Amino acid sequence: MNEEALLARASEERERIFQRYERGRENLAGQIDPWEDPEFEEYHKTDRYGFIHDERLPQKTAPQKINIEVEREKKWVKMLATWDSPTTKEKLHRRIYKGIPNSLRIKIWCKLLDVNRIKSDNPGKYHEMLRLAKQWSTDVRQIDSDVNRQFREHQFYRERYSEKQCSLFNVLCAYSMYNSEVGYCQGMSGLAGVLLMYMDEEDAFWALAVLLSDRKYLMHGLYIEGFPKLTRFLEHHDRILTKFMPKLKVHFDKFGLDAILYSLKWFFVVFVERVPFSLCLRVWDIYLLDGERVVTAMAYTILKLHKKAIMKLNDMDLIVNYIQVKLHKDFGFEDDIVIYHLERSMDELRRAKLDYPGPPPPNELPKRQLGMFVEPDKKSKIGQRAENFSETEKQTRATVILRREKAAMELQELRVSQSDTVSDHSGVAANVRCDDSVSALGSRRSLADTSVTSTADLSVFSSGRSHAPENSLDTHSNVSDDGTGSGIGGLSIQRAPSTAHSTPRATPHPPSVSPLSDDIVRIHVTYNPLAASPSHLHPSPAKYKSYSDEHHKPISLGFYTSNGASNLSSDNRIRIQVPSEELLTPVVDSGRIITQRYIESQDMYDLK
Amino acid sequence: MATNRTGGAQRPNGAPQTKVCQFKLVLLGESAVGKSSLVLRFVKGQFHEYQESTIGAAFLTQTVCLDDTTVKFEIWDTAGQERYHSLAPMYYRGAQAAIVVYDITNQDTFGRAKNWVKELQRQASPSIVIALAGNKSDLAAKRMVEFEEAQAYADENGLLFMETSAKTAMNVNDIFLAIANKLPKSESGGGAGGAGGARRLADGDTPRASSCCK
Repeated sequence: MNEEALLARASEERERIFQRYERGRENLAGQIDPWEDPEFEEYHKTDRYGFIHDERLPQKTAPQKINIEVEREKKWVKMLATWDSPTTKEKLHRRIYKGIPNSLRIKIWCKLLDVNRIKSDNPGKYHEMLRLAKQWSTDVRQIDSDVNRQFREHQFYRERYSEKQCSLFNVLCAYSMYNSEVGYCQGMSGLAGVLLMYMDEEDAFWALAVLLSDRKYLMHGLYIEGFPKLTRFLEHHDRILTKFMPKLKVHFDKFGLDAILYSLKWFFVVFVERVPFSLCLRVWDIYLLDGERVVTAMAYTILKLHKKAIMKLNDMDLIVNYIQVKLHKDFGFEDDIVIYHLERSMDELRRAKLDYPGPPPPNELPKRQLGMFVEPDKKSKIGQRAENFSETEKQTRATVILRREKAAMELQELRVSQSDTVSDHSGVAANVRCDDSVSALGSRRSLADTSVTSTADLSVFSSGRSHAPENSLDTHSNVSDDGTGSGIGGLSIQRAPSTAHSTPRATPHPPSVSPLSDDIVRIHVTYNPLAASPSHLHPSPAKYKSYSDEHHKPISLGFYTSNGASNLSSDNRIRIQVPSEELLTPVVDSGRIITQRYIESQDMYDLK
Repeated sequence: MATNRTGGAQRPNGAPQTKVCQFKLVLLGESAVGKSSLVLRFVKGQFHEYQESTIGAAFLTQTVCLDDTTVKFEIWDTAGQERYHSLAPMYYRGAQAAIVVYDITNQDTFGRAKNWVKELQRQASPSIVIALAGNKSDLAAKRMVEFEEAQAYADENGLLFMETSAKTAMNVNDIFLAIANKLPKSESGGGAGGAGGARRLADGDTPRASSCCK
């Protein structure tokens, strides 16, 4: 087909899909494929939130709970009348943590998100966006396919082309025009789907707009190409695990379980379909009040509450299933108890200064003006996929791969350390990655003493993805004397003290060390999450300092990824340049020696 | 059908002769072609008309018994939307097998499947076993991709090929079994040499990582 025909086909498809939603269920009798529709209604299996279950529900909510809720409703109604008063502000926090009465959620959520203000500031905008979507949106097919499977067990969404299905379709299509950088990304149907359980179409649209672009939530960065906010929050999540639950972190690493595998929906849709819906609503209440810190703290709380059970599971399959499926069906704790722990977690993280991964770097913010029409390019109109990754995507790719490799390396490092009888297990575990200089040095010394000349550890890679210009890691690192790197790619290679001078290996290997793991290059990429701009403007806090004593003088390296480096044929490579003659180390990739030679000055090595 | 959920490698005579091999398998393909449904059918024997959309990726395992070997599949089911494409290498890296899925009622998804095959041939282990699945074969009345066309493409590229239906279960276990049969099962032999077979550390536990068999 030529281009014109393809364009015509795409626009014909868009019109056909739109038409069906416009006609709605009533007018589509006989035209809905049987597979698109549920067989029959089962109201006796519907819970108070509208979800339909497989079996008849055991019993309705206990009467005393209903009474409490009725009492609370009265208080809330009073409070709503005086929403802007100081007393309300005072009481709001406590009451929201107790849970918003379900019947008032619609009002309170709109208040918390200030939906009415943004709506009255933008009269007619929603309908304008919807009209534009009908003519231009390139996401219609994806939205249609996701509307057809979002919350189909909920009474609102159960019937194909039901009123709420049509609203969901409209909101997502309109939003895909309103925010052209995001368009539509899978996951957003979950957000909009929940909002629409409580709001009408236009309010839900504006609520979605607030969630994506208001500083308090800023989900924009989660959904744009490359998912920069996701990687940043996952790193922060890892940092919290390392500090507060090091054994669990090691347990995850042991099974190659990256946080991205179990926590994606936590961050993308704020726990929808990952915890029971009643609990999810309670978390949403608090999220709408307090913003993104709540997600970080809830992620921590879930793992904290279930740590024991998870530690007993010795298979990635079982762990993932427990976290994603079992906890959705049955969380094992009353909602009130969970919220109590959530609040405590928030305090705990705040005290440790880990409640917030810092303000968003510019790449997580909307760049184009919202609500401005941008005509899609031909490729997206036709629905053609890009043949190559964009630079942003390449960076994301590199980041996710390195996250995994790093975890594996840390695990290996741990194994090496464990073989050293002197090192104490928990101490090592606690410091596997946290850059606390004293303890980290301790574990690394013990590492050197056990025999390993040089070590491997693609340590915290992180920020390359986000703040950096195109070739984020193509930076001869500016490692200062105290070992503090820049936020971008502060990189140091470190020689272990004393025995490090021995060139080819002479020390016997400890028996438990894998034969592949003996000689390894350790690369520390110092991570400083606060350095959104060049590091010299932001002195790094002490806790990010690393390895500054005389035995650990860092040597700077050139560190390249092949993202932008045109002379490399394949992706997934890291290029290392060693400008120091003193460094005699075999090059090792993932524990495998890839060259038997030793690095000499200015040589370049490709790590696959 | 030779699937065995518990994974116990028991033989009729009770002799514990069976080798246990573990393979990483990834599912790729356009959104809504039925990747998650194929996995759900294979792993749990279930089918949901409205399978929730996969965000990021899902992970499941299933064990298949061959004559003298028990094959445990670690299955990575990925999200189909293009935006999630940048996360895909994380899942197919180190994979020994891939099922690239398209929807026989939608020609575009077949084109997309070809691109995935190309990407795997370029980026994944050279020894990766790739199977092409033309899913939704129960909707043959709406067919847009001819069986012969896909078969010819598969032959040209050395892919296993079957038309499947997660809904009716047609060919679902078969395609996984065919893959299991084609995978090298000896420690040193097959694709284990070179970059392909040797599982990378990043993929999991070290003791299991060197090759498939214990």
